[in-house]
Amino acid sequence: MSSPIRRRRDGRYVIRLDPSARTVLADLARQLPAAITARDPMVTRLFPPAYPGTELAGAEQDYRELVDSALENHHIRAVEVLVATSGADTLSESEFHAWLDAVGSLRLVLGTRLDVHEDMEDPDPDDPRAPEYGLFVFLGELQHLMVEVLAEALPEEGRPEGPL
Amino acid sequence: MAGGAGRGPVGVVPPETVPLEDLETLLGEDTATDRPWLVIVWNDPINLMSYVTYVLQKLFGYSKEKATALMLDVHHKGRAVVSSGTRERAELDVYRLHEHGLWATMEQST
Repeated sequence: MSSPIRRRRDGRYVIRLDPSARTVLADLARQLPAAITARDPMVTRLFPPAYPGTELAGAEQDYRELVDSALENHHIRAVEVLVATSGADTLSESEFHAWLDAVGSLRLVLGTRLDVHEDMEDPDPDDPRAPEYGLFVFLGELQHLMVEVLAEALPEEGRPEGPL
Repeated sequence: MAGGAGRGPVGVVPPETVPLEDLETLLGEDTATDRPWLVIVWNDPINLMSYVTYVLQKLFGYSKEKATALMLDVHHKGRAVVSSGTRERAELDVYRLHEHGLWATMEQST
C-alpha cells in the first residue's frame, strides 16, 4: 500500500487521513497554545535549557530572555497552522513544515505526560492511559511518514556549503 | 584621530610594570574566550530516530551517513556533539534545535 503522504509534482503535499483522525489531531492541537502561553508543566519539554546546571545560570537566564518569546511564537504558530488546515487534503511547503513542527510538539507534550521511556511496553487496553498512548503512537507514525517524504528531497551527500 | 608618531596611547601601562600573575590571568582569559563552544544533542525517549537524523541533515547540511552516525551516538551514548564554533554560533544552533524540539545544550570545550 502506498504511503498516505506524498509530495506532488507541483510541490504541494498530499495527506490522506481519516476525518476522525483529523478531528482528533485538531482537538489536541487546539489545547496547546493556551498551555504554552501559561507555561503549563506539560510543555516544559518545548523549552529546554541551553546552559544546563547552576554554573551558567546567568547565561541561561540571558538565553531565555533572548529567545523565549520567539520560541513560544514558533511553537504556537505551527499549531495554529495545523488547526487551520486540519481538514485540507493538500498542504503547501510551509504548511507541511508547520504540521511537522506541531506534530512533534504534540508528541513531546503527550510523551512527557505519559512519562514515555525507551523499551516501554504498550499499556493494557483497560489502562486509563491507553487512549492517550494510542494517540501518541499515531502521532509517531504520522511524524515518521512526513519525515520520510521530506528526507527523500534532501541531498544524500549533504550540502557542501554547510549550515543554513 | 588622536595620538602622534612615537607615542603610545594615553593610559596604556608599560608592560614591564604589569605583574606577571596579572598578565597570566589576562592571557588565560583570552585563551578561555578562544575555546570553541560545543553544541550537544541529548538522548530523549520521545523523538524518533528518523526525525533526529532528518533535523541534523536539514539544519547542518550533513550527509545522511554523518547525520545517522550522530543520531546513533545520541541514541547509544546518550549525547553527541553536533556542531561547534563561537558562542554566538552555538547559541543560534541550539535555538534552531530547540525550534525542532530536540533537547540541545551548549558547553565550552575543555
